[in-house]
Amino acid sequence: MSEDSPDKTIDRSARLAFSFFLSSAGLWLLIAALFAYLAACKLTDPFFLSSCEFFTYGKIKVSQANAFIYGWGGNAIFAVSIWILARLSQAEVRGSVFLIFAGVIWNLAITFGLLGILDGHMSGHEMLEMPKEVWPAMLISYLIITFLILVIHRSRQIKETIAPQWFILAAILWFPALFLIAWHGLEINPARGTLQTVLSMWFGQSLIWLWLTPVALGAAYYLIPAILGRTIDKYYLAIFGFWCIAALAPWSVVHHLEGGPVPMWIPAIGTVMSIAMVFPIAVASTNFHATAFLDLGKVWNSLPLRFVIFGTLSYTVSSYIGVVFSLPAVAKITQFTIINEFHFNQRVYGFFSMIVFGAVYFALPKITGREIPISAKSFHFWTSTLGVLLLLLAYLIGGLTHGVLAGQPSLPWSSSVISSVQPYFLITKFAFLLLAFSQLVFVVNVWRVIFPNPFAKLFVDQKEAGA
Amino acid sequence: MNNLAKFSLGIFLTLGIAWLAFVVGARSQYGDLSPTSESLNEDGSVPVDADLYPFDLSGMAKQGAEEYAALGCVSCHTQQVRRVEAGFDVDRGWGKRPSAPRDYVLQEHVLLGNSRIGPDLANLGLRGYTDQWLHQHLFEPQTLFPSSLCPPSPFLYNEIKDPTPSDLEITSQDNTKDIRHIRPLVRANRLIAYLQSLKQDYELPEVSFVEDDEVVEETELTEEVASAQVSSAPKWLQDQIDAGKEVYMKAAAGGGMCFTCHQVNGEGLAGQFPPLAGSDWVLGDKDRLIKISMYGLMGEIEVNGVKYNNVMAPPGIPPGSLTDDQIANVLTYIRNDWGNSASAVTSDEVATVRKSLNGRAPMQMFTAAELSPDVK
Repeated sequence: MSEDSPDKTIDRSARLAFSFFLSSAGLWLLIAALFAYLAACKLTDPFFLSSCEFFTYGKIKVSQANAFIYGWGGNAIFAVSIWILARLSQAEVRGSVFLIFAGVIWNLAITFGLLGILDGHMSGHEMLEMPKEVWPAMLISYLIITFLILVIHRSRQIKETIAPQWFILAAILWFPALFLIAWHGLEINPARGTLQTVLSMWFGQSLIWLWLTPVALGAAYYLIPAILGRTIDKYYLAIFGFWCIAALAPWSVVHHLEGGPVPMWIPAIGTVMSIAMVFPIAVASTNFHATAFLDLGKVWNSLPLRFVIFGTLSYTVSSYIGVVFSLPAVAKITQFTIINEFHFNQRVYGFFSMIVFGAVYFALPKITGREIPISAKSFHFWTSTLGVLLLLLAYLIGGLTHGVLAGQPSLPWSSSVISSVQPYFLITKFAFLLLAFSQLVFVVNVWRVIFPNPFAKLFVDQKEAGA
Repeated sequence: MNNLAKFSLGIFLTLGIAWLAFVVGARSQYGDLSPTSESLNEDGSVPVDADLYPFDLSGMAKQGAEEYAALGCVSCHTQQVRRVEAGFDVDRGWGKRPSAPRDYVLQEHVLLGNSRIGPDLANLGLRGYTDQWLHQHLFEPQTLFPSSLCPPSPFLYNEIKDPTPSDLEITSQDNTKDIRHIRPLVRANRLIAYLQSLKQDYELPEVSFVEDDEVVEETELTEEVASAQVSSAPKWLQDQIDAGKEVYMKAAAGGGMCFTCHQVNGEGLAGQFPPLAGSDWVLGDKDRLIKISMYGLMGEIEVNGVKYNNVMAPPGIPPGSLTDDQIANVLTYIRNDWGNSASAVTSDEVATVRKSLNGRAPMQMFTAAELSPDVK
């Protein structure tokens, strides 16, 4: 034991918390996948489960987003952040019991929140649809986890911080700030009229831009050099990229309100800032891809890295597409169409989740000392890739169809516009089914590594007793 | 970057500036908008006696908004007409003008939405759909638009095996399904009240109607629905409803004084007086209603699944004094307000019932048990 490298000691200290958050994240991922599939089924057959009030399309759709962002996203963020920060700080994870305690509250809060939504207590605020009774529990448990993550960071051996630490810490700290702002503006001192929408829209979009995105970027900044064994190319740009995201992202998200009943300066400023976002996107893209493409063979052969690079490529492409779609001339067609789904899924599946998968496959063997079979990982990669591409293509083409046809007033709505979009819903249904299978394989394997066959020991004991 | 405190300060500052703009700035810019008249005097003041817009929603519509939010309708329907240069909404006939922030200031739930798998609903109340048509659409949209993706909401209705004339008849467009009869639950009535209240049919000082001769009427309405439409109530019915409302509201001799218990909004009082709006009794069998209107009711009664136990003295001042005409009118009124929509009651029907009860002691109140059997 005493000869263990410091990394091993750190990994061992992170094991309990990492395993807990990852296994709960996995469960939420499956729940979200189930909801996604049910929602897609309802769009292809409106009579599916229609007699059951618990499962209206609106409720399922919202539950899926919440399970995905808070359940899978939140738990995955905790797991990945704790481990990466501990590694970078060369400090052990302390207070695992409190981490798990807070984690249990977080998960319970989301569970009750989702049940609340299904039972008809949806609040109607974007990404804050869970009834407000569970908000305090979410905030408190989150703050406990934040505190313990900061403890890891404060006890770091090297004073100098690097890009992954900035991104991850910023994300960890931004969430409670966003949450409090939204809570204050929607419940404590509620805004009137469409200000409510501005605020809830800003919160919902910022959650993706300032919480999920930076963690995934931070993980990529850590994993690419760690696996390739080389430094990030043009690393000096990273700090510029970081502050650009910090300064621009909170402004750019409001471009979705284009043309609506809000003061015109709000979407206008959002559009300008969205266009300015090309700078941080270019920085991250250059950093990642200039480094990775120096050693393409290694990227291809390392499965975790393949996931990460898929994620960063997806980030680059989706962000540029996002910039184009924020231009008023284009938004006129794409706004309010299922292109929204394209953006959401591109970000949370194509980018965030893929990078988290990569991080998990990299970290899990180090932390538990057990490997996931390569065939399972490979199956997961290919089915995820296929599923994500199918999904995004369907939403993209379907969304353009939706927008172009809706713009022709002579076409009747349901019999012409929506009927033309419906085939794409069928494709997304199969894509979600494929993704669900893919994730099932991922989660089952993660669980088997975290909780190796509990009966094995029993079996051995019985054998011994019998002998 | 190496000092956590300074780093945190930096990242909160960037967030804080955006918060200042969108929350503090926007709030001071238009947070105190209030209803105003369609046009202002030259000095910017509101003309005396002018109607102020937007109107506040009725109590029933507000409850309907809650249902709308809880069911997640906002996932597929927006409620905003974009500016003409930003979208096709006005061309599509979804509104006479772009929506303005002021249109929403009185709404508790602002449900602008950001997805249009279904059409925009900001002006649904202006499209001339009858309540009956909207009920059918909520119950099963595919009977009206076979290709609609809108999920049916049968849980808002009771399907009735032995229909009375007041129950809604559901026939599908292509007549492939059997005719069904439904009776809306009060929740459905609330939702309809809310949907019918969605209208931006007034001009505001900051926004006027779009002058455009290319604006088409909601195409689906004109092409597919026109036949299913019934125009607003005919004059004789409206007269009867108006006369009935007078009886309902009058608390002096010759009046019915109904509103004191059942309330002006027809919602009753929770736990004490049953609602009339959306009530399965009010929308159901007429004979029962007529009997109650003559003799009153006592003891336990179940309305929309909720039990009440109270005494309803024979209505009228003095008690039991309502004439056949008055009873016919007031019953017609309560069957056709607050989102209710059911057939009228005639004074002949009242007279028939009165004859059949010949010999019953005056003031001898009915019980629910006595009345229920003749539903079926």
